Amino acid sequence: MRFLGTDRYYLNPELREIVNIAIAMEKPLLVTGEAGTGKTQLAFEIARALGLVLEEARCKSTFKGEELCYVYDTVLRLNDSRFGTRDSGRDVNNIWDYLRFGPIGRAFQAEGRCVLLLDEIDKTDSDTQDNLLDVLEDGSFVIREINFKLKAKEKPITIITSNAKRELSDPFLRRCYCHHIPFPDMEEMTRIVRLHYPQFPAPLLDAALPTFYRLRQIGFEKPPATGELLDWLGALQLEGASRPVDRGRILHLGTLLKRAQDLLKYRSRESSPA
Amino acid sequence: MFLPFFQLLRDQGVPVSLRHVLEFYDALEKGLAPDLDRLFILLRLTCVKKLEHFDVFEQTFAAYFLDAGHGRVPRLSRDFWESKAFRRWLEEEVRRGAVAEKDLECLPLEDLLRRFWEVALKQVGKHQGGHTWIGTGGTSPFGHSGAEREGVRVYGDSAHRSALKVIEARRYVNYAATATLRAENIRQALAALKHLVPAGPATELDVDETVTRASRNGGEIELIFRRELRDRIQVAVLLDNGGSSMMPYVDLVKLVFAKMRDQFRDLDYYYFHNCIYGCVYSDPRRHTPCALHEFLRRDPETRLIIIGDANMAPAELFLSNGAIDYFSKVRVPGREWLLRLRSHFPRSVWLNPIPRSRWPRESATIGSIGQIFPMEDLRLSGIRQAVEWLNAGGAPRGNPSSGDR
Repeated sequence: MRFLGTDRYYLNPELREIVNIAIAMEKPLLVTGEAGTGKTQLAFEIARALGLVLEEARCKSTFKGEELCYVYDTVLRLNDSRFGTRDSGRDVNNIWDYLRFGPIGRAFQAEGRCVLLLDEIDKTDSDTQDNLLDVLEDGSFVIREINFKLKAKEKPITIITSNAKRELSDPFLRRCYCHHIPFPDMEEMTRIVRLHYPQFPAPLLDAALPTFYRLRQIGFEKPPATGELLDWLGALQLEGASRPVDRGRILHLGTLLKRAQDLLKYRSRESSPA
Repeated sequence: MFLPFFQLLRDQGVPVSLRHVLEFYDALEKGLAPDLDRLFILLRLTCVKKLEHFDVFEQTFAAYFLDAGHGRVPRLSRDFWESKAFRRWLEEEVRRGAVAEKDLECLPLEDLLRRFWEVALKQVGKHQGGHTWIGTGGTSPFGHSGAEREGVRVYGDSAHRSALKVIEARRYVNYAATATLRAENIRQALAALKHLVPAGPATELDVDETVTRASRNGGEIELIFRRELRDRIQVAVLLDNGGSSMMPYVDLVKLVFAKMRDQFRDLDYYYFHNCIYGCVYSDPRRHTPCALHEFLRRDPETRLIIIGDANMAPAELFLSNGAIDYFSKVRVPGREWLLRLRSHFPRSVWLNPIPRSRWPRESATIGSIGQIFPMEDLRLSGIRQAVEWLNAGGAPRGNPSSGDR
């Protein structure tokens, strides 16, 4: 099982090796990096390239970890026991009819190997991370209500992303493979853009990229990333613009800078003589 | 032959544990490192978990595998060049004509080494399943501490001292209670600090209560919901950031402080100089004052942590004109303010960066403040103890003179 990238996702050779080592070693891969470096996309593309099912968990700060494995719907069961199941097909005496599985639970029960994405794990508490750790490592969790250990038929390919808003716990890091995706350089970026806009006029791109990288260096609160660049280029292309900067003003600046403060900062720089 | 590399990494401050080493060998047997580039990636994935160790890792790797170390990283030892495995390989290369004998002197070491490792790594793949190629004590020629053969010991200690054991022995050092604090062990100590209270919307079904009510209602189900227990701890930190007496401890305090910020969502921090009087400051340069009587309106459940060396002139602590109350101009000695803080926040503790053994010699005021607040030093045992104080609340332990406050 080797992941070699896909036609719409540019895979850096180093990252390719890393993904394949993680797949072979059955270890969760933690990817960090700036927004828009393709962390989340990586999981989708692995699933697509290898033809596997993707189970996705978008983390919230209120998660305790268990709901990613399963939820026991007590209320429904109580309700059924009072009013009957009618034609729902549920059996009140069978607890399995009232267990709802979360992404981890579904990934563990899947027949073949699948891809499990835990997106933005840093939003959760460190307790939650510690709980998930054991689950992912053993490939099993216990359904407490019936003390049943559900073991993964095959350990999923686990991709975890983090924006590093908060530091992750050391034990958590120890059990993952960690990789930081650096921001792509201009050459890589050209390839990424080509994957998204195969028809994009080369001279316009050659003019736009340096402008974009210059903008990134100014030090905005939210520096424009790949996503913003693609939006911007899309806007330029739609308009049929011949150059990214017109009379000293960047066209469609709003697609690149999202925060009011950043826009103001840029404007003030612009108005002050360079 | 990889074990010394792990040791070297540890010496350079990258926390590599036995588990990682085993994991690496596992991967090696699966043939995941067929060449130097992939060996590099595999080793990095296995050993480096944080960005800050990245650079050290690269340097160590270059030094160990290519003998291209600069600066801090020690270079390849003589043992390696003289080892049988390397010599045998070199002789073979010369015999095959791959390396001309006359070139031997002038060939760049890096090239030579690169080729050696490439060959070595290829063999790892071939030997899959058979005699382990790099086992500790296997029968292959390359084993470290192999039964009778000499192995490649690039940076190893003498044979018969299993490197694995050495690594394992060291692993406990960091967690020993007397160990000085390091980033990885502070978090464990702080994690014990929690304040679980019912919070948020009532969404958790109380099954027991529901069943009880339902049976009382003659089977008519009444669902009872409770609020979840959530960690709602509030922590306030007062930092002594002034005066030369704190200077030697800046790094230590910074580390503890940084860990606290990661650990607690509701963390407020203020600064003071030497002793606390009418106000504390919300900025490190102590320009923005926060009156202490404002501060004293906070929830008494707030955990208060004061970090300072408690080392001051006795006058600052005891005399009413030691400092002047910022707002009311009423003269109140520092000690009085500390007592007020302590009585308002029963869950409070003073952390002193000076090691406990030096307290009596360091200053008399340390003892006096130690009677007001439980005082601990900034070692692992100290932080653990401090967390216990904060969880329990109450008077400082066993102070004979605490009665006469």
